[in-house]
Order: sequence, then structure tokens, then C-alpha cells
Amino acid sequence: MNALEKKAVVNTEKPQEQASARGRVLVLIDGSKMSYAALTAAAGIAGKRNADMLGVFVEELNLVRSAGYGFSREVGSVSGISRPFDPGILEQRMRRLADHARVALAEAVKQRGGRAALSIARGHVIEEVLALAGPDDLLVLGRAGWSSPAGARLGSTARRLIRQAPGQVLLWCEQRLPYQKRVVVFLNDHEEANHRAALAAAEIARHYCQPVTVILETDGEPAADQIEAIRQDLDVIGPGTRLQILSDTNPLTVARVLREERASQLVISRECALFNAPGAEELLAALSLPVTVTP
Amino acid sequence: MSLPTPLTAEQVYHQCPLDQLDFDTTDALKDLDLPFGQERVLRALEFGASMRADGFNLFVLGPAGAGKHELVERFLAKHAEGQPVPSDWCHVHNFDFSDRPRAIGLAAGQGRQFKKDMSDLAGELRTAIPATFESEEYQARLQELQEEITKRQQQSLFDIQKEASANNIAMITTPAGFTFAPMRKGEVIDPEDYKSLSDEEKALIESKIEELQKKLQQAIQQFPRLRKELRERSHTLNEEMVQLTLGGPINELREKWRHVPAVVDYLDAIREDVVEHAEAFQDSEKGPPNGLLDRYKVNLLVDNAGTSGAPVIYEDLPTHQHLAGQIEHRARQGTLYTDFTLIKGGSVHRANGGYLIIDARRILSQPMAWESLKRILFSGEIRIESLERLYGLASTMSLQPEPIPVSVKVVLLGNRMLYYLLSQHDPDFLDLFKVEADFEDDLNRDDESYGLYARMIATIARQLKCRPLGRAAVARLIEHASRLAADQRKLTAHDRVLRDLVSEADHWANRSGTATIEVEHLQQAIDEREFRASRVRDQSREQIARGIVMIATEGEALGQVNGLSVLRLGASMFGRPTRITATARPGKAQVVDIEREAKLGGPIHSKAVMILSRFLASRYGGDGELSLSASLAFEQSYGGVEGDSASVAETCVLLSAISRLPLRQAFAVTGSMNQHGEVQAVGGVNEKIEGFFEVCRGAGKVRGQGVILPATNVEHLMLNSEVRKAIADGDFSVYPVTHINEAIELLTGMDAGEADEKGKFPLGSFNRAVASRLRRFAEASKKQGGRKGSRERPGEESRG
Repeated sequence: MNALEKKAVVNTEKPQEQASARGRVLVLIDGSKMSYAALTAAAGIAGKRNADMLGVFVEELNLVRSAGYGFSREVGSVSGISRPFDPGILEQRMRRLADHARVALAEAVKQRGGRAALSIARGHVIEEVLALAGPDDLLVLGRAGWSSPAGARLGSTARRLIRQAPGQVLLWCEQRLPYQKRVVVFLNDHEEANHRAALAAAEIARHYCQPVTVILETDGEPAADQIEAIRQDLDVIGPGTRLQILSDTNPLTVARVLREERASQLVISRECALFNAPGAEELLAALSLPVTVTP
Repeated sequence: MSLPTPLTAEQVYHQCPLDQLDFDTTDALKDLDLPFGQERVLRALEFGASMRADGFNLFVLGPAGAGKHELVERFLAKHAEGQPVPSDWCHVHNFDFSDRPRAIGLAAGQGRQFKKDMSDLAGELRTAIPATFESEEYQARLQELQEEITKRQQQSLFDIQKEASANNIAMITTPAGFTFAPMRKGEVIDPEDYKSLSDEEKALIESKIEELQKKLQQAIQQFPRLRKELRERSHTLNEEMVQLTLGGPINELREKWRHVPAVVDYLDAIREDVVEHAEAFQDSEKGPPNGLLDRYKVNLLVDNAGTSGAPVIYEDLPTHQHLAGQIEHRARQGTLYTDFTLIKGGSVHRANGGYLIIDARRILSQPMAWESLKRILFSGEIRIESLERLYGLASTMSLQPEPIPVSVKVVLLGNRMLYYLLSQHDPDFLDLFKVEADFEDDLNRDDESYGLYARMIATIARQLKCRPLGRAAVARLIEHASRLAADQRKLTAHDRVLRDLVSEADHWANRSGTATIEVEHLQQAIDEREFRASRVRDQSREQIARGIVMIATEGEALGQVNGLSVLRLGASMFGRPTRITATARPGKAQVVDIEREAKLGGPIHSKAVMILSRFLASRYGGDGELSLSASLAFEQSYGGVEGDSASVAETCVLLSAISRLPLRQAFAVTGSMNQHGEVQAVGGVNEKIEGFFEVCRGAGKVRGQGVILPATNVEHLMLNSEVRKAIADGDFSVYPVTHINEAIELLTGMDAGEADEKGKFPLGSFNRAVASRLRRFAEASKKQGGRKGSRERPGEESRG
């Protein structure tokens, strides 16, 4: 049997289940363009879910401390020019960023409706976020990156949060190619995780009016009951759904499948074998599309 | 001297002999391919059309309605049949200089194929190139490239971060860049705690941080170079992929068009252009922008696919744009745009390699058109430029299409006056139009020409889709053609008049329901035409009949004669008698031309009066001084007098005034005279005679009236049937005269008298009476002069 075997299953029934209003939508704002793009996306989701928004702005302690040294200098990420870096400059910049975050959050909420709050804390980003996020919350963050191309790199904060966050994490990235038009969800043999991932994919598909491709990872022939469970999930997802069975979790194969499917968004569960496969992080880093990681 | 014999009815009209027409109707006659009697034009056309050298363009000159256009088009169409079909021409985008579209010449019929090939290629590019960019191979290679560069970029940062970590230094991302700080157990050391470190430790850390900062600076400053490398390598990759995709179709076309180097060059330019704009083809949804693909279109300016032989083009509105072509613009949101696809060829483009027929008057009346045509003919190429650019009125950027070489034979059609004016005033004209094709106004009427003329009429009838003409109708038309030519030995060559007559006769035949045009239909057509144009003529005759304009047609009168004049109104003309009067008394030798004094006489008329004045002096003055103060006037004439055709009448009336002998008013006189008294031919004799005949008829019964005309005019007579009948009945006479004496004798009934060797005229003769009276005038003048002189100089003796 080939490593990749395609099976198309078209679900013609209408979705029976609406995503219920769940917890808050947390969005991590660090002043970068990517974080503001994530804020816009988060506001859209919150509007659809009718959920509250919580902007999280963390003044990274290590950064604050590093500005305290008299010899500290900041090297520009684009120009490479080195210039003095002192607490006064940093404080001023932090305040400006926080103010800007507040305004941006208010703007985003004003457009989409709903309530929003901004949490400003000083500490370590991951700890502060984990302290705020609950299992029902959706955490939205932009891919932090050192440099171009935008969103191509997965920052260390993002890497840790997608693994450690108690609930769903949406790793946002601005889409570049207009012909990407399918939501791809990876499923495997963990039934509950599959269901959660399927629900998330269904919500995204509805939000963006795009069909879903379900990719089932399995070592051999999938069991009949497994197929049946997935079919039930497909009913949830909605019409136009396609099912593919993939027996190879090599990140390169996955990347090719995603290209072939013209994936616009990816949904994957932390329980999924692919997520824990070696090279998965590099794959996520290389993908230029929003990724939703479900528990 | 014996009186001249009046002309017979046969002499005043040249009947068409029916036995010369060997057919029943014109249906039996074959078409005439080329008109007869126009050998001069045909030879000129043949020469001009075949002559290849520069400047041998043609000017076909002849009166309006002579059928110049029809003949030239027919001749050239036949002449061009056997000639090669000229090239197709197209404009394509110039990839080096976009404002100067290139011109490509292709064998006839290949232009369409080339256009289709390029359209197909553009279609293929539209789909094949995006497909290439979408391909797995391209995406993978691009991604690899991006990853490699990103990796190299990030690796340099990772290396610095790694080095920093190894030295317990944290590399921290700030909102605008990076900073370094000492670290302990993964945390940045609090600055307060840092103070507790020894000076050596601090110096070590700080020097390391400084070193790392420098390395980081260097690494970051390498990023633009890496990005440039990424761009360059992506471009190279794009080029490679496009080259592979394009290779097949372009090479196929190169092979197909290898016989046209310009097309091969163009295909190469397209290949380079596509590679250069490879990125624009990457959008597989919308495809490449239309503006990009439109540049690969072909603007087929001249398509000779359907042409057989050389083209013969008639430009009915020869403006600058219609001749040389134009660059059109497309309005888009209030702004005008153009590109090479909006270049429109002109008639010179279409006629390139063939013949272009233009009406001379029209081209001269269009601004700049004549200059543009001359420029094209001089340079041998067509440059498409707008008038506003030529005039320097517009300085906006526009296209300058590559000039197209042109080899066209221009045939200008115009009247003679235009030809002579152009020859006189345009120094370029004779350089460019070396062949003059002059139309004959009239054709010879002889036994050979009857059959040919009949065939010409048959051809006209068929062309006009009219009924055939019966034999008698053809004969009548031939006779009318002689009348139109105003010559018994000529036939008119005016195509338009004949066509109009045939059409009208066909109309009357249709009304009478006959299958052929008979003589009565033709006569009706002639009469109706005359009637339609007769309003002014009838008004004039009515005024004479009512005595408002005084014309005597009987009796005798002193110093009064009927002159004959002709009025031309539009296409029609009619004759009208005019009373000419004279007075005479002693005086200094002068004949006052009242018309000239009143500035109503033209120069030719003045000349004629001067001639008659010198005739009088030489004939009657002898060696002595002529004492005469005479005056001449055209009575009730207010519109001016021109011409010398009244000089015989003027001489007669003046002699009557001098001699005090009356003239017969039943005669009207026409003819010019020289200084020796010989009578010379004049124009419009038919109209003049018919005009006087009508006036006589209007005044009562025609009996005994007549017209005196120059004998040399007899062969111009083609009088209408009513006049002919009156002549045949002896009621009306036409007297041909060769000398003034004959006119005098007819008008006075006296012998004119020839002078003997001493210059004396016989007793009782008219001239003797004139000479005697003039002598008395001279004596009277002398006496008067003597009295005047004695009053002035008392004591001086009067002599002579």
C-alpha cells in the first residue's frame, strides 16, 4: 500500500451542532505587528463566539533587568546599529506599547463587539500567561520572530505555550497566498482529542466559510469503528469535507499534503502523534499558516 | 458681291445614320471594357501604372463628370490583377523602447497566422506559466531556497545566542532589536546583584557583551545581502522555470517563423520579457495581468489575406489621419491611454504595393493632408503621427511607431485648373506627379465611332441596370452627344451626362411600361432636363415678349442691331438677343465702349471694340485722320458683357450710325471680327440661334427672320427640331458669313462695296456712304478746329 492513500468522503448534511460560547479569548500582545494581526484575528473569533477578550501584555522581567545595566546597548534588528539602552527608554517604550495595545484592543472590540480587558503584568511571559489562561480559554498569539520572513519562525515563547497552555492555542500568522482554501485537521486514534480537534476545525470552517480536509494518521488500515467515529465527527464539521488517510507522519510528507490540499489553516491536537513527532516544531515553524493546537 | 446662301435644315443638324447602327436594342451589344477615344489617357495610365521609378505618380485631369474615377478604377483593377499581392504589415510591442512599436512585414496572408500564433502563445502563457509556478517542483525549490536563506540568517543569530549562553550571557529580544545581559541559571542577573561581582568578573562579562554586540551587528548587517541573494536566486529559479515552460512553444514558433528574422527576434524578446516578469505570472487564480499579456498581441495593420493582385484603394475622405493612419486613445476613468494595439493604419498602408486613388480637390481641402501625402511619397515610408504632434500643439508622450516602407502609386483625380495651379505654385508637385493623364472632352464622330459609342451606351445601360435602348434611341442619344459637344463632328465624352440621360429615359420608359428605351423616352428626358432648368430663360423671354426688354424682330432701324449672348446657369445655358446701339458724330478718333466705361465690359470685349475701331480707321480713314466720336452700348444689359462674339454686330451697328443707313431688325448677328474684317468663329451658336428663334416666335409669327453667324461655326450647329422645321419651311434662315461685308449686305440689303486701288468705294455702295459721312465728319472737325485756332491765334491763316 502506498504511504499516502486518498479517500474522499463528501458530507452533504448540514452541521447540526453550533460551537457553544466557551471561555475567554486571550491574546498575547507584545507590540509586534504579528501580535496585532493576532489581535485582529482574536477579535473576530471572540465576536463569533460572543466571548470576552483579554489582552495580555507582559513586561518581560529579563528585558527590564537587562536595561538596568549601564553598559547595555540595543542592537537594531534591521539596521544592526547599536545604541544605548537604559531603563528610562525601556519604561517609556513599554508604556507606549501598553497604551497602544489598549487602544488597539478597544478598536478591535469596537468593530466586532463584546467586552475586553487588558492585563498588564511584569514577569516572565509564559508564567504570566499560564497564570491567566484556563482550560476553556482560547489563547491567541502571533508567531514571534527574529526577522524576516514574517511569521516563518516559531519563537521560544510560542513553542512553550502551545505545549503548556491548558486549552486551545491559536498560533496566528498572516496568510499570504490567496488560493489556500481548506481547513486541514489532523486526527489520530485518540477519540476525545479527535473530537476536540474536529469541533475546532468545524468552528474555523464556519468562520471562514471553507471546507475541511480531515487527515487521519494511522499505521495500517483504520478500524471500522474508528472510521465510524470519524464519520460522526464529519457530520459535525459540515458539508464539502474530504477525508484522507495518511500512514506516514514524516513532516516532509505532511508538508506536501498540506500544500496539495491548499491548506489555509491547520488544526492539530496535542495528543496527535504528528505533534510529538521529531521535526514537528520545525514543520510548524516552516508552515506559513495559522495553526490551532487543541488539547 | 453675292449674298451668302442660307443653310439648309440638313446643314444645321448632323443626323445619326441609322444604317450605322446594326442592332435592334443595346442588349445585342457587347460591353466596352475601356472607353474609346481616350487613347491619350489610357496610354498615360498604362505608362504611369507600370513605371516603377520614384515620382511617376499620376494626375488624371479632366472635367467633372467625365467618368475619371470610374475609368481609373476599372483600368487599375485590371492592371493590378496580374501583379503580386503585397506584404501584410503588423505592429508589435517594442520591449526595449515601449513607445516605439516595431513594424514587421510578412508575406501576404501570413499576418493573420502570426497574429493567431501570438494569441495562442499568450493563451498558453496565461495558463502554463502559473501552472509551472504552482508545480510541486517549483514550490519545493522556492521553499528550499527560502529556508536556506532563513536558516543562514537565523543560524548566525543562533550562533551568537549559543556563544552568549556559553558565557552566561542572555540574548534578549527587545521590541526593536536585541540586547545582551549577564545571566545566571537562565535568568538575567538583577543589576543590583551584578554590582556585587568582582571587577574582573564584570570586566570580563562586559568585554564579552561588547564582543557579542559587535558580532551581532555584523550578523544583522549581513541580512540585506542575504535578502538580495534570496531575490536573485529566486529570480534565477523563476527564469529557469519559465525558460523550461516557454522552451517548447517558443522554439516551435521560432522554427515555424525562421524565414522571417524580425519574427524570430521578436519571439526572443518575448522570451526575455516573460522571464523578466516571471513573478507577475505567479497568481494562478487571476492569472497574469492583462496589461502584460496584451503586449504579446499583434496589431495586424495591413491584412492582404483576401487580396488578389495589387490593391487598388480609393480614399474618399483623404484626411491626414485617413491617409497616414492614427494612434487612437482609450478613455479610462477620465484619462486617455494608448498602446500599440490602438495604432490604426491609413489608406496608404492598405494601398502599399498597389494604387491609391485620391480626389485632388478633396485632399487639398483637408488640413495638412496634401503635405502628409507628399512627405510619404518623398520619404518612401509612412510615419504615423498625430496632427497635434506635427503642429507641435501637444507635447504629451505618445507612441512613435516604427515607419513602414511604402511603395505606392498615387493617382490624383482633378480638373485641369487644379493641375495647372499645382504645377505653377507647388514646386514639389511635378517631382511627384510626373505622369499627366489628360481626358478628352469630346470624341471624334465618324463612321467607326458610331458602333463603339453605341456599345458604350449599352455598357452604361447595363451598369445602371436600365432597360436596353432601341436603335433610334441610341441614334438620338448620339445626336444629343454631338449637341452637348457643340460640334457636328464630335461626341461628348462626359460620362455623367450620358448616364443621367439614360437613367432618366429609363424612368420615362418605365412610366410608359415599355421594355426598351425608345426615342420618345430619350427625347422626354432631354426635354424634361431642359424644362427643369428653364425658369430664368423663360423669365427673360417673357420680358422680351412683353416689351420690357426691347428687341425688334422686324422692320429697320438706324444704329441698332440684335446681338446674341449666352447665359450659363449651372449646367444649363441659353441664348438671348440683346439690342446693341451706336451713335456717331465728328470728333477725335475714338469709339467709346460704354460697357467698358461703366466697368461692365470685360477685357476681351474691350479688345474687340479696339479691333473694330482700328478696322474703321484703316478701312475708311485712308491716309487722313479719322474724325469720329462714336459710342457703343448693350442696351438693358446690367450684368456685364464679356467676349468678342458681338464684334460683327457692333461693327455693323456702328457703320449704320455713321452712314445713317438703317439695319434690318429681322436679323440677329453673332461672330467676332479681326482687323481686316474677316469673321471668326464664336461659341454657343446653337443656344444663340435657338434663343433668337424663341424670341421671334414670342413676338408673333416666325417669318423671314434669321441669324447671321460665322461660316466657320456651321459645323458646330446641332439645332433643335423646331428651328430645323422653320428653316425647312423657309420661315427662318441661318446665314454663314466669312467677311463683314456679307453681314452688312444682309443687314442693309445694299451692296457693301469694295474699295478700288485709290481706296474709293463704288458709288451707291454702303461703304461709300460710310466713307462719305466720315469725310464730312473730318471736314466738320477741321472747320471747327480752324475756328477754334483763329480764336486762339488771331491773324493766323486757316489752311486745308
